[in-house]
Amino acid sequence: MPRSVETLVVGGVIGDVLDMFTPASEFTVQYGGKQVTNGCDIKPSAAADKPHVKILGHPLSSNLYTLVMVDPDAPSPSEPRLREWLHWIVVDIPEGHDATKGRELVAYMGPQPPTGIHRYILALFKQEGAMEGRVQVADVRANFSTRRFAAQNRLGLPVAAVYFNSQKESAVRKR
Amino acid sequence: MPMAMAMPVTTDCGSGSRWSMVSLKSALPPLASSIKLPCRRRTPPPRTRSPQLVRSFSALSPVNPLHSLGFSDMSSFGQNFTIIDNGCRFFAMRHGRRVPKLNRPPDQRRALLRGLTTQLLKHGRIKTTRARASAVRKYVDKMITLAKDGSLHKRRQALGFIYEKQIVHALFAEVPDRYGKRNGGYTRIIRTLPRRGDNAPMAYIELV
Repeated sequence: MPRSVETLVVGGVIGDVLDMFTPASEFTVQYGGKQVTNGCDIKPSAAADKPHVKILGHPLSSNLYTLVMVDPDAPSPSEPRLREWLHWIVVDIPEGHDATKGRELVAYMGPQPPTGIHRYILALFKQEGAMEGRVQVADVRANFSTRRFAAQNRLGLPVAAVYFNSQKESAVRKR
Repeated sequence: MPMAMAMPVTTDCGSGSRWSMVSLKSALPPLASSIKLPCRRRTPPPRTRSPQLVRSFSALSPVNPLHSLGFSDMSSFGQNFTIIDNGCRFFAMRHGRRVPKLNRPPDQRRALLRGLTTQLLKHGRIKTTRARASAVRKYVDKMITLAKDGSLHKRRQALGFIYEKQIVHALFAEVPDRYGKRNGGYTRIIRTLPRRGDNAPMAYIELV
């Protein structure tokens, strides 16, 4: 839907992390019961575990997808020296299924924003074929580049993306 | 104004005899001089209107039963004169006024905006109400413009506005790289869901 691309542009996702694309697929991300919409607030404690990611589509089609989760505002949105911080990579997700059916290249790390309000972007790429052993991933999570990763693995432009905000919860619980 | 206070004490005969023009004019304070209504950019009141109104009031006074009873005190009568007669145009509507007041007196307003710009420059992205986010844009842009200039005088001006001096020094160090090519519009506002406690419309404001 073109509307969702506009929210990504407004939120700075397209520009900072991704290039302009037309959404070709849809996927849903859920943390506990809460569905992630563009720009919504998720607490780090609620996002500590992997979300349920489901790619909508026909389960029998042979398309495989790659999911990448990054944080472009590490360590702080005013000084993103470590842009982007890699949180999660899953490859070979079959269409119509959820992310547990894929192969996790980089283990999931929950949001832990030290300061400020960070954006966490989940981008979905369509693969040409199954990723064999060609994917090489750096050991460090800092200074990751989604564009470089997509170019290296011939993923092209993303087919879907969603992002949410998260900030450090104060020690004293606010009502 | 001894004459003014002495007049209503007498009996309630025909009001025309008591309210003579000379005694009225001498009793009242000089018109249209001391009363200032909050009107900006309006022309000063034309002085020529005041004598006409005095005449009209003297004509109206027999009609008003309160005057004939003698209960009307001079102060309310005088006040009627000042509100209508001042000539300074006083509107009940807010047409064209662009300063956001943020439901605060001026000193608190300034402190709020200083605090918000300090926090925005410190954290890069903050979540606040839409009215505040919209109001703080101007001040953040001003601070970044000061930093773009970079001279000592501008640095001291920024130090006088932002509460933490580390932030000012960091700002002056990084703004030329970060915003060197951008002309204005250094912030972005993203509207978001209302706050749970009072349903206030919220927004994220971030440095572009």
